[in-house]
Amino acid sequence: MEATNSIDRRKFLKITGISGAMLAIGFESLAMDMGDDPMVKAMMAEDFIDGTAINPFVIIGEDGQITIMATIPELGQGINQGIPAIIAEELEVDLNTVNIVKSSATRKYGRQSIGGSRNTRSLYGPMRKLGASTREMFIQAAAKRWGVSADQCYAKDGQVFKKGSNSGLAYSALVKEAAAIEVPKEPALKSKKDFKIIGKSFPRPDLALKVSGQADYGMDAQTEGLLYATIERCPTLQGTITSFDEGAAMAVPGVQKVMKVTRNVYGNNNVGLAVVASSYYAALQGRKALNIKWNNAEFTGISSSRIDKELTKLENEDGYEHVEKGDFKATLDQAAQKIEVRYDLPYLSHTCMEPMNATVHVKEDGTCEVWAPSQSPQVQRQFAKILGIPENQAEEKIKVHLPYLGGGFGRRSMNDSLFECLQISQAMTKPVKLIWSREDDTSQGPFRQRTAHLMKATFDANKQPIGLQHKMISQAITTQGRPSRGRLPFEVMEGINTHYDIPNISTRFVEYKNQIPIHWWRSVFGSTNGFAHEGFMDEVAVMAGEDPLKFRKDRLKSEPRFVKVLERLEKEADWNKKLSKNEGKGMAIVESFGSIMAHAVFLKKEKGKVSIPKVVSVVDCGVYINPDQVAAQTESNIIYGLTAALKDPITFENGAAQQANFDTYRMLRMNEAPRSIEVHIMENDEAPGGMGEPGLPPIAPALANAVYDLSGKRIRRLPFDLQRV
Amino acid sequence: MAKYTLNINQKQVTVDADPQTPLLWVIRDEVGLTGTKYGCGIAQCGACTVHLNGNPVRSCSLPVSASSGQQITTIEGISENESHPVQKAWIEAQVPQCGYCQSGQVMSAVALLDKNPKPSDDDIDAAMSGNICRCGTYTRIRKAIHNASNEISNGSN
Repeated sequence: MEATNSIDRRKFLKITGISGAMLAIGFESLAMDMGDDPMVKAMMAEDFIDGTAINPFVIIGEDGQITIMATIPELGQGINQGIPAIIAEELEVDLNTVNIVKSSATRKYGRQSIGGSRNTRSLYGPMRKLGASTREMFIQAAAKRWGVSADQCYAKDGQVFKKGSNSGLAYSALVKEAAAIEVPKEPALKSKKDFKIIGKSFPRPDLALKVSGQADYGMDAQTEGLLYATIERCPTLQGTITSFDEGAAMAVPGVQKVMKVTRNVYGNNNVGLAVVASSYYAALQGRKALNIKWNNAEFTGISSSRIDKELTKLENEDGYEHVEKGDFKATLDQAAQKIEVRYDLPYLSHTCMEPMNATVHVKEDGTCEVWAPSQSPQVQRQFAKILGIPENQAEEKIKVHLPYLGGGFGRRSMNDSLFECLQISQAMTKPVKLIWSREDDTSQGPFRQRTAHLMKATFDANKQPIGLQHKMISQAITTQGRPSRGRLPFEVMEGINTHYDIPNISTRFVEYKNQIPIHWWRSVFGSTNGFAHEGFMDEVAVMAGEDPLKFRKDRLKSEPRFVKVLERLEKEADWNKKLSKNEGKGMAIVESFGSIMAHAVFLKKEKGKVSIPKVVSVVDCGVYINPDQVAAQTESNIIYGLTAALKDPITFENGAAQQANFDTYRMLRMNEAPRSIEVHIMENDEAPGGMGEPGLPPIAPALANAVYDLSGKRIRRLPFDLQRV
Repeated sequence: MAKYTLNINQKQVTVDADPQTPLLWVIRDEVGLTGTKYGCGIAQCGACTVHLNGNPVRSCSLPVSASSGQQITTIEGISENESHPVQKAWIEAQVPQCGYCQSGQVMSAVALLDKNPKPSDDDIDAAMSGNICRCGTYTRIRKAIHNASNEISNGSN
């Protein structure tokens, strides 16, 4: 457990050569002073490491221990090890002996925000360079000591050797000299064939903590004198408070304060009432006694049925152009046959296992300590503005712990709970932990978008497709709280494959606006577009009288990576094997976030009950770091996507979400999960693709296509009940 | 408020709490054992699973007043150094992702194997379906339980 009182125990890092190292790898924002300031009596993760920091990420102890900082929020994706693994590879150290330490959140590590399956993709190059330049500094230091040229030396297992000699010098013996060397700007990177770490499965160091209750999540923050807060918010999100019973809440033993807080959601400052108490249970009891009357009449008109009608009204709008190939409209007149259908997907909640929470301590001396379970934890500058701290003192006066995240899925890229908690702690000058209840977490949004997809296909007399239209109708994330931009929002067409060899293709976006806030949800628009597009492609294949996998292979020849994935899936899933009458199979392929993912779903009907015995997956994610984590993320996306396809939607009545906890917003459980998930990874030298999300978009369409194969029933609206097909 | 003496992980602790306070919050915030997690508060997700006299219970829905005088075991109490066969199997199969639900998963699995050292897949479904994992580690949990089961039965031979 972290102590907060013993400043004597601090072990200050001797930080050297940082600006140079950071500039060399292209973190331009980092040429700044990073001296630790003893005025903040917060023990941060870094304070427990002894050694010399050759750069902010690599610390060498006198005892030879090599520490690599894990600076990117760990929410399950294994990044805690993944990025240090990249550094360790180029640094020529044994990953099993490296001490990986979860860092705090601070600017010296560059950007620490996480989302868009982006981190391995964006840090692969810079972190290799960082590891390689550090390695070269050690080699140069050793060469200098031996009086030989650097090209007579090489590094291995954390030591530098002279060619032809067996006795090496440990990095720890070279630290001071290495730190004085100018950081090489263009270090030589290893070639892939020499990789000892990248591409291999290493056990994750955080898992021992996670099977024994020792991993520190935001929910677990503990500090002396901690108070607990809960907030009653308006069921319609927006609304003002007409009256409440402060006295009744304050009468609950342990309750210390009732106060208004605001929650900014895409420009709306939503009001809530916080109850602060000496225990969370007391705070909840106080909250129950509040008896708030809301003035929210103008926000109660919206309901799921009204949204359905509003989306339907937009069906004939032209919207924004995404891809126009040939002339789709002209094919409507020429076509011998047509299909015109609509696909629909609901609002959803992110539902991290760890509900939203935050812990903030605004201290009497004007400093602030924060525990930020966030995908975007570097809150110093924004907090400083609110606390009246000059921007240039934000880093030294505001210390931010970076706990493990109990799930994120995009939800934790919104820091609403942190800002709510800041207001409470600021008012009380005491440490406060704000806990959202599960009900708050499910019903207060922001949500995954609800979409409608108008799908049309035209066929010639030989039943060959000549035209394809995908018109998507939805809110956009990036135009909330502001007028439409008059152009296609960048995020909305993810996962729509326009590579299909169909001569006339039209993909368009019609923007819908309403008061319900939506936010990045695992694979975002890939999660909705992928279902409509690949479900409909199955319909097109059936109309053409072709096997769905062969149909895709034949019409994606312009994209060899797609074809290779499909061929691999055909083989690994034994796709062409004939199934019995009570079995079904379906497949789908979607490219998103830089990776191509195909799933084959198998269904079985036994004694009237439908189950999913097996999912076979093939992914092309380019160069990958840890194949076991590629598999783990794929398994995760399959379950997350199956929950979205088969369980509950978020629906609205009188402006309020109708689902609150796991009894009404159900999750896929062990007994419903596929018994087997097989993941196969393509080997190639392509740039790394994302892995946190690409597994999700193709799972719902593969499932729906399997349902069609099993039962002849076409699923075009999610969620659906697998037992009623 | 009232005083309760609890037996947690074979240690006696005295706490001062409202009788209706769920055991979960007492364990976490009064006793300071934060391995047991809050997930739903209505006994639907299993993140708060502890053992009461060896049986898995949802501590979010058990008042502290009903826990007094019973043997309570939390995730911190099942082994030292992650040496329980279930913990070892969990690491071997690299089960956890975000890890938030895993204390509860491990506690449910330990209770299952205590009663049924050779569970079938259907037994596993029955014992583990009360524990939600939002990261979707179910196939690995199943594998880890079978592996732990093998280790336990080999160890006892």
